[in-house]
Amino acid sequence: MLTVRDASVFFAARDGSEVHALDRVSLDLRPDSIVVALGTSGCGKSTLLNAIAGFLPLSEGSIRLDGRSIDGPGADRGVVFQKDTLLPWMSVADNVALGLKFAGVPLRERRRRAGELLRLVGLEAFADAAPYELSGGMRQRVGIARALATEPKILLMDEPFGALDSLTRENMQELLVSVWARTGKQIFFITHSIEEALFLGTTVVVMSPRPGRIVARFDLEFVRDFARDGSVGAIRSAPKFSEMRETIRNIIHGFDARMGALQ
Amino acid sequence: MTAIADVRTAPRRAPIRRIVALRPVGRGGRPTLAITAATGGGLIGLWFLVSSLRLASPLFLPRPDEVVTQFIAVATDGYANATLFEHVEASLARVMSALLLAAAAGIPVGLLMGMNRWVKGVLDAPIGFYWPLPPLAYLPLMIIWLGIGEVSKVLLLTLAMFAPICLSAQAGVRSVSVERVNVALSLGAGRGQLFRDIVFPSALPEILTGLRISVGIGWGTLVAAELIAARRGIGYMIMSASEFLATDVVFVGIIVIAACAFAFSAAMRGLEHWLVPWKGKS
Repeated sequence: MLTVRDASVFFAARDGSEVHALDRVSLDLRPDSIVVALGTSGCGKSTLLNAIAGFLPLSEGSIRLDGRSIDGPGADRGVVFQKDTLLPWMSVADNVALGLKFAGVPLRERRRRAGELLRLVGLEAFADAAPYELSGGMRQRVGIARALATEPKILLMDEPFGALDSLTRENMQELLVSVWARTGKQIFFITHSIEEALFLGTTVVVMSPRPGRIVARFDLEFVRDFARDGSVGAIRSAPKFSEMRETIRNIIHGFDARMGALQ
Repeated sequence: MTAIADVRTAPRRAPIRRIVALRPVGRGGRPTLAITAATGGGLIGLWFLVSSLRLASPLFLPRPDEVVTQFIAVATDGYANATLFEHVEASLARVMSALLLAAAAGIPVGLLMGMNRWVKGVLDAPIGFYWPLPPLAYLPLMIIWLGIGEVSKVLLLTLAMFAPICLSAQAGVRSVSVERVNVALSLGAGRGQLFRDIVFPSALPEILTGLRISVGIGWGTLVAAELIAARRGIGYMIMSASEFLATDVVFVGIIVIAACAFAFSAAMRGLEHWLVPWKGKS
């Protein structure tokens, strides 16, 4: 289990002043959950993810994974970025197996594991392709397979589908849910799309900017319903779904109005 | 009614479709090979014409066929104490050994300068001081210190070729994206693995560009250095020929240099194609 306690982050702005990027954020990520951080840009959600990944130290507070304090990046937390970070000089299979190579797993075993993971994301036919021969959506699937290869306890995803067209995006959401249902990984997912947050999250935390803090929190069942029934249409058109969408939209817009009043 | 009948009985013509494309910027990737070949042929024709009509003295401008004859003579009988092949061999040996030395030093030093603040801080001043200097300016110093033999020439070339390789390796390290490094770290990469599997391959396209530039610089410097201090080499051959106003031999030398430089540049492009086929695709 991952616990974030009173995490605060201060950056130095270019003019030397302090930027309060994250303000006393507390969060629990339980096994088998998808926690989605939802907010406009600048609300500190990427800062939070970078801190959990270990790329960024906290100014105050603590992050623990299974009781151990986090003090840098590690293979127990897999990361998927919005920007595709596959290595162009390696085949798709070698990219997937990169973490296993770092861990010293022998080549034959790496190949076998890469094949399994590519099957999981539906790309078994592209094992020997070069990354630049794949479409954007396929590359993100390879990224997910690569992050899963080291069997991390948690998957951290920073707007992974943000650069995809909306049709591909829906396919990727369904793929992620099916991967989650089959592997039972806990996932921390960042998005600025309300629909995506509602569809994917077992928990959705709404964040507000300046300073970045959690302003609302919802426990949802949509993703579990989808994993059980497999019907996207039924979930997206359910009255509960649109009700929740309006609730969250009002929270975010209400916040914008207050910011406007301040200015 | 009649109008419709007319249309039906009109002979069917194959549709002439107008194939369109967005207006290109500049030449827009259209092929230029034919134009280049025609220009080359035209220039040779012009040379032939001017020299055959004796518009210029044959002492200054020999005919192309005279140059070809001289080429065969120089290749078989030799000129200035060596055959053409031996001159070219001497020059190539100098450039190749200097390239190997410069790459062996420049790539690791440049990578270290990109990775480490101290290495960068220490080496920035000496490299920044010497590399804008024209190599021929410090050639006399090389000769005073190391004599007129091969060592001074190879070292001169090595120095001239080191800087672009070193600078491009630094630029290569700078071009590695933070996300790429972070992903590797979160996959459990250690320092050595991060360098070998992420930083070095990411920097490789820039390094190869640096090698290409340095080969060009090296070749140019070599010929100039041989004009001043050598007993063998293609530059020396040109210099000797000019002293006897053997213009046709000078032409032979220039053509050989051009051919060598072209071959080098083609080889480097081949190397790039082979080592970094992904260049510009991600």
